[in-house]
Amino acid sequence: MKQVSSQANQDAPTQSNSSQHSFGPKTLVFGATALIAYGLSRRSKAGTAVAAAGGGLLAYQAFSSSQPSKPSDTRTTFLVNSSPEQAYQLWRNLENLPRFMAHLKQVRLLDGRRSQWIASGPMDRNVQWTAEIIEDVPNQGISWRSLPGSDVDTSGVVSFRADPLGRGTYITAEMQYRLPGGALGAGVATIFGKHPEFVVREDLRRFKALLETGEVATTVGQAHGPRGVHGHTEQVLFRETSNQPEPLARTA
Amino acid sequence: MKAVCWMGKEKMQVHNVPDPTILNPRDAIVRITTTCICGSDLHLYDGFVPTLEQGDIMGHEFMGEVVEVGPGINRDKLKVGDRVVVPFTIACGNCQFCKDQLWSCCDNSNPNAWIAEKIMGYSPSGLFGYTHMLGGYAGGQAQYARVPFADVGPIKVPEGMPDEKVIFLSDIFPTGYMAAENCNIRSGDTIAIWGCGPVALFAIRSCFMLGAGRVIAIDRVPERLEMARTAGAETLNFEEVDVLEALKEMTGNKGPDACMDVVGMEATGHGIMFAVDRAKQMARIQMDRPVVLRQAIMACKKGGTLSIPGVYASFIDKVPMGAIMNKGLILKTGQTHMMRYMQPLLERIQSGEIDPSFVISHTLPIDAAPDAYRMFRDKQDKCIKVVLKPWEQQIAA
Repeated sequence: MKQVSSQANQDAPTQSNSSQHSFGPKTLVFGATALIAYGLSRRSKAGTAVAAAGGGLLAYQAFSSSQPSKPSDTRTTFLVNSSPEQAYQLWRNLENLPRFMAHLKQVRLLDGRRSQWIASGPMDRNVQWTAEIIEDVPNQGISWRSLPGSDVDTSGVVSFRADPLGRGTYITAEMQYRLPGGALGAGVATIFGKHPEFVVREDLRRFKALLETGEVATTVGQAHGPRGVHGHTEQVLFRETSNQPEPLARTA
Repeated sequence: MKAVCWMGKEKMQVHNVPDPTILNPRDAIVRITTTCICGSDLHLYDGFVPTLEQGDIMGHEFMGEVVEVGPGINRDKLKVGDRVVVPFTIACGNCQFCKDQLWSCCDNSNPNAWIAEKIMGYSPSGLFGYTHMLGGYAGGQAQYARVPFADVGPIKVPEGMPDEKVIFLSDIFPTGYMAAENCNIRSGDTIAIWGCGPVALFAIRSCFMLGAGRVIAIDRVPERLEMARTAGAETLNFEEVDVLEALKEMTGNKGPDACMDVVGMEATGHGIMFAVDRAKQMARIQMDRPVVLRQAIMACKKGGTLSIPGVYASFIDKVPMGAIMNKGLILKTGQTHMMRYMQPLLERIQSGEIDPSFVISHTLPIDAAPDAYRMFRDKQDKCIKVVLKPWEQQIAA
């Protein structure tokens, strides 16, 4: 196979923990979130105090964190019940991407190699960039990167490999994003399900579902009773507001 | 529509909520004619299973009439007007697990698979009216429900069969049957069953269907022990006898060929281990109380089989792994692979071999659900199984 290589590795991040604590900022943010979640789930005054303590920890982390932004790259593989041809077709039509990439709103083709990507960013603001296909080997792999001068510095590569034992197709996706906001940004992104590692894994999981079943399971828009403060908080913590696709709109 | 909503620990309320709509192409909407409260709903009621959300609609045992289907539904399999029983597990029918008949392990039906992966490594299928770790799908203790992948799970019911005879195909009859199948029964085997609730009552009958010679059922609620005896089992009241000693005596120091834990995470027992388990569960250090599981492991004969249909949510302590290893026990468990069993068991009902309605103790309107949960949990009024009628205001006694 012709080499479909990741642009991501050119400036791969070195894993270093520059925090002054014996644990990383991610651990601290996770711990704080667990406190908040546990506190809220108790539905009592003591619980509220525990949640407030978690909030204090988060604030402390925000105050003490001043790490610069590091690029984050990530790699995930899923074995999918389909042929490489079917998988390649679904991915190569880039306008399909928003059907399984939850943060994308729209992808518009500009010409054979270039496309305009619109994603929902922080505070419901749109983030746009133009991506260019670098390599395209039918039924084997596609790689792309954002053009210089875009809002977002991102690149990605996906490869399709038939299982030699005939059990489907291995699909491997690697993507690279630069997250704003340093370590705290990464921590907060983790909580709300926006961390690149999580996003790529979930994107690929949804791609598998779409390929195998023609739709992506969702509960967005289903009937429910009054959620109240607790119910809404739990929805955010379970990432149901950020990690589930809009129904039908994405699967039509 | 009316729906039973979980609003917190021991807080069930009936609310008026918007009717469900088709969200995905392979969805259907079912107008529910009969629904039930299941023993596993009680784990949620008691607040012992994590990842529920305030406002969740409960219920995973329901049946009714299809009133709307999505554009992606295979019309040969399901159409508007069909009367169907809906299985509690949601399966896509396309992934490798569904193709291997492991329906409750479907790879594509849990939109919150990432949460389950954190606790279990990989995610099982989505379930109706259960935790968000297992999908968070709105359940069937309501007047309508949205059924995803509706051309895979729901089974059509022949005209003329009353709801009461077929409703339990939605969970407890197949669950009891699979639990018996998991016992690897050879003709004449002795099976010990912990718990005499509705699933166990089906498991006892299923064991005999599969050739068991003796079934020994263990509980402490008199009316449940009585029903187990009616099903043909010998019974032990664990308040009155030492279960391990009694089983030894009854099997001539050999032990039952298979042991079944139909109790799960909220088992009741005696002694210091039970006290420690209960304290840990209260403190949320341990979600499950594995009292029965430990006893079943100790009681089982060498080379025997443990069948575990009882629900466990997360991690357990002090499991006698040495006994499992050194006695060479076989462990079989899992959420029920519903679609394997619904059709064959429907045929057994049609042929008159079994009438599952024997298990019903109460039929109530949906407005009575909050009280019914408490009654069922506390085993008041000889409550065995509660059936709810979503469209009726009053039900004649």
